[in-house]
Amino acid sequence: MAGTEHVEVEETLKRIEAHKGVIGTIIVDAEGIPIRTTLDNSTTVLYARLLRRLTMNARSTVRDIDPQNDLTFLRIRSKKHEILVAPENDYLLIVIQNPCE
Amino acid sequence: MAEVEETLKRIQSQNGVQGIIIVNTEGIPIKTTLDNASTVQYAGLIHQLVMKARSTVRDIDPQNDLTFLRVRSKKNEIMIAPDKDYFLIVIQNPSD
Repeated sequence: MAGTEHVEVEETLKRIEAHKGVIGTIIVDAEGIPIRTTLDNSTTVLYARLLRRLTMNARSTVRDIDPQNDLTFLRIRSKKHEILVAPENDYLLIVIQNPCE
Repeated sequence: MAEVEETLKRIQSQNGVQGIIIVNTEGIPIKTTLDNASTVQYAGLIHQLVMKARSTVRDIDPQNDLTFLRVRSKKNEIMIAPDKDYFLIVIQNPSD
């Protein structure tokens, strides 16, 4: 069963990575350690650290406004690109894309 | 000024929009469609989050800058358009 789940994850990630404009994808585990990435090491570590911190901040903001609410997604658009963060069970899926269609 | 009002009216009339707040650089709300308590709460918390998001973008790349932030939660979505002097905050219920 672990085998097929892994395949599904791989396929999903490949699908995202093949998407037009996607610059990179990073998965960060519950301890903030990047466990998968398509970017170089130093970039990955930088993104993982900073986005984890920001995501935790965003989550606190959401909960401070309403304790019954929770963060489901974060989109950070900047001049150069867009960072999408999908938090799940303390893991983070980070996708960096160039939204120039 | 009339343009601002018209733009706000247009946003406000969009399906699902729960509220609009404009805050200045200090995080003080200068315009709002919500009640006072909600406005103050949102303004303060979101202002500090946007500042953090902006630092994050700049820490990754000092030549880059934040242009938009979307915070999606179970109950709603908060969108923030930061400008030099103001932030425009829109809270919407993205039930499509």
